[in-house]
Amino acid sequence: MAEGRKNIILEGKNLQLGYRKGKKIFEVTSDISFSLMKGELTCLLGPNGVGKSTLLKAILGQNPPIGGVLTFRDTPIAQYDRRAMSKNISVVLTDKITSGNLTVGQLVALGRIPHTGWLGRLQDEDRSKVEHAIESTKIGYLHDRRLSELSDGQLQKVMIARALAQDGELLILDEPTAHLDLVNRYEIMHLLKDIAHRQGKSVLVVTHDLEIAIETADQFWLMECGFPLTAGLPEDLILSGEINRLLPDDQLSFDIRSGKILPLTAEIDYTIDGPHEIVQWVKKALGKAELDKTDFKISISKNPLKFELEYDINKSIHDNIETVIRELTIRSL
Amino acid sequence: MIKSNTYALIFLIGVFLCGLLFIFNIGIGSVYIPFGDIISALTGGEFNRRSWETIIYNYRIPKAFTAILAGIALSVSGLQMQTFFRNPLAGPFVLGISSGAGLGVALLVMAGSAFGITMLYQTGVGLWSVIMAATAGAVLVLLLMSLTAWKVKDSMTLLIVGLMFGSATSAVISVLAYFSDAEQLKVFTVWSMGSLGATAPVQLKAFFVAQIIGIIPVLMFIKSYNAMLLGETYAESMGININRLRWAMIISTGILAGSATAFCGPIAFIGIAVPHMARLIFRTADHRVLFPASALIGAMVLLVCDAISQMPTSAQTLPINAVTSLVGAPMVIWLILKRNFSKEF
Repeated sequence: MAEGRKNIILEGKNLQLGYRKGKKIFEVTSDISFSLMKGELTCLLGPNGVGKSTLLKAILGQNPPIGGVLTFRDTPIAQYDRRAMSKNISVVLTDKITSGNLTVGQLVALGRIPHTGWLGRLQDEDRSKVEHAIESTKIGYLHDRRLSELSDGQLQKVMIARALAQDGELLILDEPTAHLDLVNRYEIMHLLKDIAHRQGKSVLVVTHDLEIAIETADQFWLMECGFPLTAGLPEDLILSGEINRLLPDDQLSFDIRSGKILPLTAEIDYTIDGPHEIVQWVKKALGKAELDKTDFKISISKNPLKFELEYDINKSIHDNIETVIRELTIRSL
Repeated sequence: MIKSNTYALIFLIGVFLCGLLFIFNIGIGSVYIPFGDIISALTGGEFNRRSWETIIYNYRIPKAFTAILAGIALSVSGLQMQTFFRNPLAGPFVLGISSGAGLGVALLVMAGSAFGITMLYQTGVGLWSVIMAATAGAVLVLLLMSLTAWKVKDSMTLLIVGLMFGSATSAVISVLAYFSDAEQLKVFTVWSMGSLGATAPVQLKAFFVAQIIGIIPVLMFIKSYNAMLLGETYAESMGININRLRWAMIISTGILAGSATAFCGPIAFIGIAVPHMARLIFRTADHRVLFPASALIGAMVLLVCDAISQMPTSAQTLPINAVTSLVGAPMVIWLILKRNFSKEF
């Protein structure tokens, strides 16, 4: 237990979060408790407006909690001054970076600002930290490029390198994979996992990317309106069904078999024979085409892929689903 | 990437050019004085005519120094504003300083007829009284802005309030102008066109001291301005105290741009354009380079503009405020078209 406590970087107990406006208090969320562990990638998930950003602001000391205790390494966040905080926590935000004239190297070096003197001159230690940050994010080939010349995915990696160069124990990222393509989303999340596991940093990621988060995160924090924060191993949350808390309405549900979020519509019982992996796609296509008749039969044979459609006394063979659907729709007219 | 040696070389060339421009600037005027004479006089020789000595020492050299100081003040203020507000259109006067100074001068010059009472200003332009009036006006607006900054934490709101203050004071000036005599109106209009030649050595000393004081906050917060390149939230996460930086910026630009306006009248364009020129020429966003670069370019641009306003070989002079825009605007447009400007801000 003592060992466990030592690994807790950030801890919240019964936090009540919100905004003060004059004497009025606007509560956003309450009853938030968590412990963030060293060397782990934690993903914070929840619908928009549930208070994720408010929680981040509380951790960054920009908007202190209204109630409860928030500690960083067993000391209340409020007791850290700005500079001490900046040496411990670094961030990647969703703010747009407009300074196209900065080079990648210069931007990463900005991460050393909390550690340098008044002119910001880099010492040997600063330089090696910057170099290390660039190396571990694999952006060395971009070193002399200007920010205006980077793609969104490259820019995000550069921003992560900057946060790494700041050399805190806790890295907080606000939707780092928004607007990125699939490959970049995977790369960034795996990069963050590596940073947590290999460099022993705590990484807290706010994300809406459930599938990639399940694959990479050590811990999930689920936030939903009016409920306490649920924390746990992603797989445990899936098995216990608590993952469905992310989907408060009854239209969507997390499908435990495919690991995907699926609509909760009653599945129409088509008669389809064939290998399971193909049948599911055929069903999907028929469902999308809104075919509600079931008085037909499809048999699928593999190698070569053929679809045999039987209805009434007719039989036809097709080599893709599209023509199957076309024939079925013509018939129902 | 440009190495620091290269920067040093560019700066050396810049300083040398600035020196050349300085000599060129004092060589030009309604009275023809040969360059050879000026250089020999500056290096310890004697002037051929007594009148030349008077013109050079009492008029042209103070004017050239004023150009340098005002150029530095306006560009450094402009760069601070652009970075702090993260807005390429911000300039030294966005917080209403020049309109405040204008209001002060307008009250001094024109309020007499507007209110039907005789104000202190009646005959002839008292140099110090105009300077004091401009300073008082600038300080007044600055105090109002400080009050706002104290209440409002959001930069964009501060910017908008500054623009509103500017509009409001301009409106008051218009009302005053509407009711004033043609003669008073002309005096004010001439002031509002700016002049670098209104500073005698005494005023120049005061101007110089103001500049030194105004530059100090810039030097103190130079690293914070680099952090501001990523925006306020990032800067805060890097340990920068935004509130303190905001005050440093208000005080510094207040003193720099305020004193420049008080001594020279409003000079448009320099403050907005020169930081962009510095960015385009030095191709960097590092404020440790940009601040000295802006100062140097600002001084050079204003020296050139002043030389042009003298209209060599003519006894007439053009208002400096018009020349800066006439010369500068095409220059910046050219730079913008040549490089991808918006990506480099």
